[in-house]
Amino acid sequence: MSEGAPTAAETRRIAEEARDRVRFEEEALALSDQVYRVARRLVNSREEAEDLVQDTYARAFRSWQQYTPGTNLRAWLLRILTNLNIDRGRRQQRSPDIQPLEEGDYFLYNRLESTNPDENPDEERVLERLSQNAVVEALAEVPHDFRDVLVLVDIGEFSYAEAAQILDIPVGTVMSRLHRGRRILKQQLAEKAVSA
Amino acid sequence: MGCDCGDCEEMMQPYLDKVLSYEQMREAQEHLERCPPCEKRYRFEEDLRRYVRVAVEEPMSDGLKEKLAGLRSAD
Repeated sequence: MSEGAPTAAETRRIAEEARDRVRFEEEALALSDQVYRVARRLVNSREEAEDLVQDTYARAFRSWQQYTPGTNLRAWLLRILTNLNIDRGRRQQRSPDIQPLEEGDYFLYNRLESTNPDENPDEERVLERLSQNAVVEALAEVPHDFRDVLVLVDIGEFSYAEAAQILDIPVGTVMSRLHRGRRILKQQLAEKAVSA
Repeated sequence: MGCDCGDCEEMMQPYLDKVLSYEQMREAQEHLERCPPCEKRYRFEEDLRRYVRVAVEEPMSDGLKEKLAGLRSAD
C-alpha cells in the first residue's frame, strides 16, 4: 500500500465536498434574477449591473465555503455585491447633501391631486400619471446611501434586519435612510409628474 | 388636506412596513377608519410602492445568464 493513496474516508470527503459545491452553485444561480434586479437599480446602467453581478458570482463561487448552509443565500450574495459596488470607488461620487427642503410623506399625493383639481383623484388614476421612465429616472436620482437601502427593501423585498446585515449598518440607520429615501423618491416623482 | 394630523403622516411608513407596536397599529387603524383623506393617502402609498417595484423591472439578459453559468466549477 503506497503512502500517498487517499483513504476511503478521504475519497468520500472529496466527493461530498464536490457535491456540496455543485449544490451551492445551483442554488446561487437560481437566485440570479433576483440579484440582478437589485443590482440593476443600485447602479445606473445595464452594463455596470451586469459587470457587478458577474464579479459577485465569481467571488461567491470562489469563497463558497464561507457560506453557512441554511442561512439566507440571497442576502449573502447581496452582501458581496454591495461590498464590491462600494469598493469600486462609487463613494467618490458621493452626492452633495440633497436639497434642504424635504417634504413629508403625503407630498406626492397632494401634489398630484392639486395639479388635477377637476377630477376626483382615485389612486389608480393618480398613479397613471407617472410613466415607467419617470420612475426609473426618479430612483436613479436618489443619492446612493439612501438608494442602497431603498432598493434592498422596496425592490429586493429584504427586511430592515437583512438590509442592515447586507450593508453592515445599524437597523436604526436602515430605517432613517429608508424613510428619507422614500421621501426623496417621491419628491423626484412629483417634479417629473408635474413637468410631464 | 381635510385632516391636520401630522402624526398620521409620520406613522405611514412604519404602519405600511408593519413595524408599529400592536397599540400604535390599532390607533392608526382607528384613525384611518375615521379619516378618509388619510386613508386615501395610505392606500396611494401602498399602490405606489407596488408600482415602483414593477416599473423598474428589467429582465436579466440571456447573455449574462450564460456567463454566470460559465463561472461554475463543474461542467
